[in-house]
Formats: sequence, structure tokens, C-alpha cells
Amino acid sequence: MKTVPKKYILMFALTILYAATSQAQIAKAEIRATGLTCSMCSNAINKQLKSLADVENVEIDLNTNTFTVTLKDNNSLKPSVFKENVEKAGFFIGSLILTVKPEMIKNNDYIIVKGKENSAKELQIQVLDKGYVTDKEFKKLVKFYKNSETFNNNNEADFHIKILN
Amino acid sequence: MKKFLLLITVLVFQKSISQELFLLTDPASNVPANSLGVNVLQSAFEEKMESGYNYHLMPEVTYGLNRNLMFRASAFVSNRNSQLVTEGGSFMAKYRFYSEDDLNSHFRLAAYGRYSFNNADIHQEQIDIMGHNTGFETGIIATKLIKKVAISATVSFEKAFDNKPNYPFPDDIGDNATNYTLSFGKLMYPKKYTSLKQTNINLMVEFIGQTINENGKSYLDVVPVVQFIFNSQARLDLAYRRELVSSMVRSAPNGVYLNLYYTFFNI
Repeated sequence: MKTVPKKYILMFALTILYAATSQAQIAKAEIRATGLTCSMCSNAINKQLKSLADVENVEIDLNTNTFTVTLKDNNSLKPSVFKENVEKAGFFIGSLILTVKPEMIKNNDYIIVKGKENSAKELQIQVLDKGYVTDKEFKKLVKFYKNSETFNNNNEADFHIKILN
Repeated sequence: MKKFLLLITVLVFQKSISQELFLLTDPASNVPANSLGVNVLQSAFEEKMESGYNYHLMPEVTYGLNRNLMFRASAFVSNRNSQLVTEGGSFMAKYRFYSEDDLNSHFRLAAYGRYSFNNADIHQEQIDIMGHNTGFETGIIATKLIKKVAISATVSFEKAFDNKPNYPFPDDIGDNATNYTLSFGKLMYPKKYTSLKQTNINLMVEFIGQTINENGKSYLDVVPVVQFIFNSQARLDLAYRRELVSSMVRSAPNGVYLNLYYTFFNI
């Protein structure tokens, strides 16, 4: 009978342990908001994002309406939290790029539609679902991914992502 | 004390999106969810039939319940009878039912309803439930924002009732009207944003019109507005309202406005 080498058992155990202790997490979110050009509007989004417990800092480029949100360690936020809060302020997301730990996208909620998993310590991913891109872009994406069963379901619990790095 | 309490109550319950933050009309956009806008609108209008000015003070509070629905309460204080008297109040709800947003632009539609009560004497053919008549108004708003310019239009139906308890609505004048507004707003300063603390300056022009449905009597006013936004949170509006054309009796059509507005986020 073939025995499994001890070092593999140890590696397996460590992997399990690592997966259990480290939260799948988003380190940073770069949000480009749509539908606004005024600083009072930007401030509404700014305040909304800052009100979240897991948000460490928000940097704003008022000329492009881009919000760079730094998040606290070990948060368990999902991309939907950014959509909900930008919409609460009265606006929409035009693009959402997340800096994440590679484990996060191993979760079944994430479906890679473009790009490949790689060995980078942190991945840059863009969410392509409805509400995470402009309406115009979404129409294009629907055509492009018409053969994808999950993409056209518009299930809010799963996220179709493009790996950028 | 009663007046003070009313003021506080009203202060604790108004409008927010810069180029489209018009003074006299509402854009199709709402205030942010869970935010509270507090404003005090003051106006002084020149009396046509007698000498002097007609002063109105209108404190308002606006609350965003969620991204599509907001509520507003207003109180009407005036000196028409030589001293300041609270003559009435108003409640409104606005629902945004369509949004098409793109980078630096949007097109939005909203529907609103307002009910006001007022106990002042009825002294003109113009129907105005924002400070003169008891009644209701319901309408549709369309707003388009393209970069630094916002254009907004409203069409509404307004009906007046008796100003209880002492002033029934006169039988000889029409009690319902169609209102229409067209507003333009442009961000003039800054050309390029550097921080949230920067003061923004918007210039606006609003056209406000009304036609009494029964007899076709109408008016059309123009209202140029200068707006300053401080710290991306507070607002100061200065405006002048002038009658362009009118075929109805109006007691004081021309005057000035001063509005102060503050937003409390995430309450």
C-alpha cells in the first residue's frame, strides 16, 4: 500500500488551516461613480463610504469622480457593498476595480470571465456585472457574454470578474 | 415658544446635487439616502397694490429615506399682517422612478406630490400652495445633466382649497392650474476641482409659469440665481424673481430670495 508522505499531509493541514483563518478579503476598491459632476454629490458618496465600519480611508479625485477606498484587514466585504452605498448617495458605479487576495476569487461567488489566475500576491479585478459598469458597457458585455449562462442570469450574489494583472 | 418649537421641528426634518440644486424647482434627483437637508428660504416681494414689501420665511427639512424616495416638510411664516405669523405648512414626497447614468451625465425622471395648508387671506388669482393657498400639487420632473450643465423641466397640476378657517376660496376665480417650469444651471467655478473644501459657484436661470385651467389666465416669471456651495456641504442662494408676462391678478410678483441650506449626511 502506498502511503502519503508526511510532508503532504502537513501541507494539506496547513492549507486547510490557512483557508479557515484568513478571511477572503478586499484590500482596496477603486470606484468610478457616474451621473455626477459636482463636489457636493461627490461628498455624499464620500460620507456614505466613510460611514462603513470596514473603511479605513477614502481618497477622492473630484475631476474624475474616482474614490479610492482603503479597507481594514480581515474584512469580509463583498463587491455589492460598494454598489449599495454609491446608490444610496443617489448615484451609480461606472467601474469598480478591486485589489484582492487571490483566495477570495476561489470562492464560488466569483466567476472569472477574462484573464487568468496567477501567482501575484494581490490581484486586481474588475467586476463586470450589471450595476458595476456603465449601462452602455453593460449592453456590450451582455452581447459579448451571451453564451454564458450565469452572466445573463443577473444573479446578485455572484460576481463576474476580469483579472487585470 | 410655539413658533420656536415649530421652527426647530421643521429644522429637524430639504434639496442636494449642485448644478441642479435649483432654488425654486426640484430636480428629478433626490437627496442622499439617510441624509437630512435643512434650509431657510427668505423672500421679500414688492407689494403692487399697496406700498412696502411682503416678507416670507420658509424653513424646510428634507429627508432621504432611500435612494429613490425623499420627504420634505416646510413651514410658511409671513408678515402680511404687519407681524410675523406662521400661516401654514406643507408636506411633499418625491419618487425617482427612472435613471440613466453615464460618466459625467444623467437623465432622470421623478414624480412628486405635495399637500399644503394655509390660513392666510386669499388676495390673488395666482395659485401658490408654497405659502399662499391650501391645496395640493402633483407633477412630473425630468432632469438632464451633461457635464457642467443641468436642464430640468417640471409639469404639474395644482388645486387650491379653502384657506380654513376664515378664508374660503373665491368662487369667481379658477381653483386649479397647470404649472410648468424650465431651469438651467451651470457650474462656473472651479474649472478644475482640487478639494472638497473648494467653494463652488453655480449660475442658474429658472422660468416659472402657470395657467389657470378654467380661464386660461397665465403668468411667466424669470428667476436668475447665484449659488455658492461651501465645503461641499453648505449652500447659499441669492435670487431675483421678475414677472415677464401676466394676465392674472398677482399681489407681489417681483422680489428677491435668500436661501441657506445645510446637509447632514448619514444620520
